[in-house]
Amino acid sequence: MTAIGRPGPERARKKAEPGASADLAGQLTLVARGDAAAFDAVYDQLAPSVFGVVRRVIRDPAQSEEVTQDVLLEVWRSAAKFDAGRGSATAWVMTIAHRRAVDRVRSAQKETERERRSARTDVPYDEVAEAVESSLERERVRRCLGSLTDLQRESVTLAYYGGYTYGQVASLLGVPAGTIKTRMRDALIRLRDCLGVAH
Amino acid sequence: MKKQKRQPGQDLHTLAGAYAMDAISAPDRARFERHLAGCEECAQEIASLREATARLATATAVPPPARLKERVMAAAAATRQQPPAEREAVVRTWRSRRLVMAAAAVAAAVVAGAAVVFGVSNGSMSDQLSQDRASGQQIAAVLTARDATMMTGAVRGGGTVTIVMSHARHALVFTAADLRPLPASRGYELWLIGPAGDRPVTMLPSATMAGPVVASGLRPGDHLALTAEPAGGTARPTTPMMLDVAL
Repeated sequence: MTAIGRPGPERARKKAEPGASADLAGQLTLVARGDAAAFDAVYDQLAPSVFGVVRRVIRDPAQSEEVTQDVLLEVWRSAAKFDAGRGSATAWVMTIAHRRAVDRVRSAQKETERERRSARTDVPYDEVAEAVESSLERERVRRCLGSLTDLQRESVTLAYYGGYTYGQVASLLGVPAGTIKTRMRDALIRLRDCLGVAH
Repeated sequence: MKKQKRQPGQDLHTLAGAYAMDAISAPDRARFERHLAGCEECAQEIASLREATARLATATAVPPPARLKERVMAAAAATRQQPPAEREAVVRTWRSRRLVMAAAAVAAAVVAGAAVVFGVSNGSMSDQLSQDRASGQQIAAVLTARDATMMTGAVRGGGTVTIVMSHARHALVFTAADLRPLPASRGYELWLIGPAGDRPVTMLPSATMAGPVVASGLRPGDHLALTAEPAGGTARPTTPMMLDVAL
C-alpha cells in the first residue's frame, strides 16, 4: 500500500525561491487530485507573493485579503488547468493573482473615482524591505528594473503595480499610447532577459 | 517565416507587453486573445513575458495574516474542484490506425531518408556517428514491430508529423515536415511527457524535414510533445506545446 500523506516533506520545504519551482509544479499536480497537504505546501510557498502583489495593486488591506483568498481558492479549484508545458507554476498563479487584483480595482473604478494617489512617487522596488523573498532575488529584480530606461520602468511600474491600462499610463506620462504600448513590450523583453527567465 | 504585412496583426502584436501586464481594456483583451488563439509565436512570447512579470510579483512578497490561511484552507475543503480537460480533445484531430503493412512500406523510405539525414549531420563527432548507426537499427526495429501503429497529424503553428510507434519495443519513430522555421537561436525540441516525468528526446535538426528521430524508453501514460526552445535545448519544456499526442 502506498502512503497517501508522505511524511515530512512539507516540514522540510523552504520558503519560495526560484529553485523550488519544479517542485511547485509537482505539488500543483497533486492539488489537482484534491491533495490538501500539497495545497498547504503551495499556500506556504505562494501566498506571500500573491498577497504582496494583490496588496500592491489594491492597497486596501481588507480588500487585498479578500482577493488573496479568492486567488488561492481559484488555484485550488482549477489546479487541473495548470499545464507545466505552458509556463511555471509561479507564473500561472501570479497571472491569476494580478488579473484578479486589476479586475477588482477596475470594477471599483467604475463606481467611484479611484482614489487619486500618485503611483509615480510610489517606486515599488524601493519598498520591498518587508518582503519575505530571499533578498538576493529581490535585489535582482530591483537591479533589472533599474536597467530599463526611465520611460520603460515607469510604464511597467504604473501598469503592473499601479494596475493602469496602457492608455491610462499614456495619459499619466503625457506620451502617445502607441509609444507606451511599444515601451511596455520592450521593457518586459528586457526584464525577461535580465532576469534570466527561460523562454 | 511569412512576413505578415497586415496592419491589424502587426498592431495587435505590439500589445503583447500590455496584455502580459493586464494593462489592457476588456475589449482589447478579448481582441488580443482571439489573435493569440491563432498565433503560436505570440502565445510563446506571452508565456515568456509572464515569467518575467511573475518575478515582479514575487519581489513584493509579504506574509499574509495567519488567519487568511485558515480561511483559505476551510474554503478549499468546502469547494469542489474543476475537472481537468479530457486529454482526447487534442488527439481527436489525429487519424490513428493500426497499419502494420503501411508501416512496413514506409520503413524502407524512411530508413533511406534516415541515412541521408544522418550522413549530413554526423560530421562533427565520432560518437555521434555510432549513435546514429544505432538509431538506424532502432528505427528498423520500430517500423517492423508487429504492433507498429502509424499516426499522422498537424502541428500547431504549421507542419505535419508522422509517428510510427511500437509499445512492444517501447519506442517510436518521429518525422516532421514543413514546421514553421524558427530563428537561428531557437529550435524544435521533442519530449516524452508522462507520469515518469518530462524527458527531452532531442532537438530536431531542421524544420523543413526533421527526422526520423527515435524516442525510446516509452512508459505507460506518456505523451509525445514538441516545443520551440533555445537552440541548445532545455531540460524541461519552457514554452507551449505545439504538439501533444497521447501514445
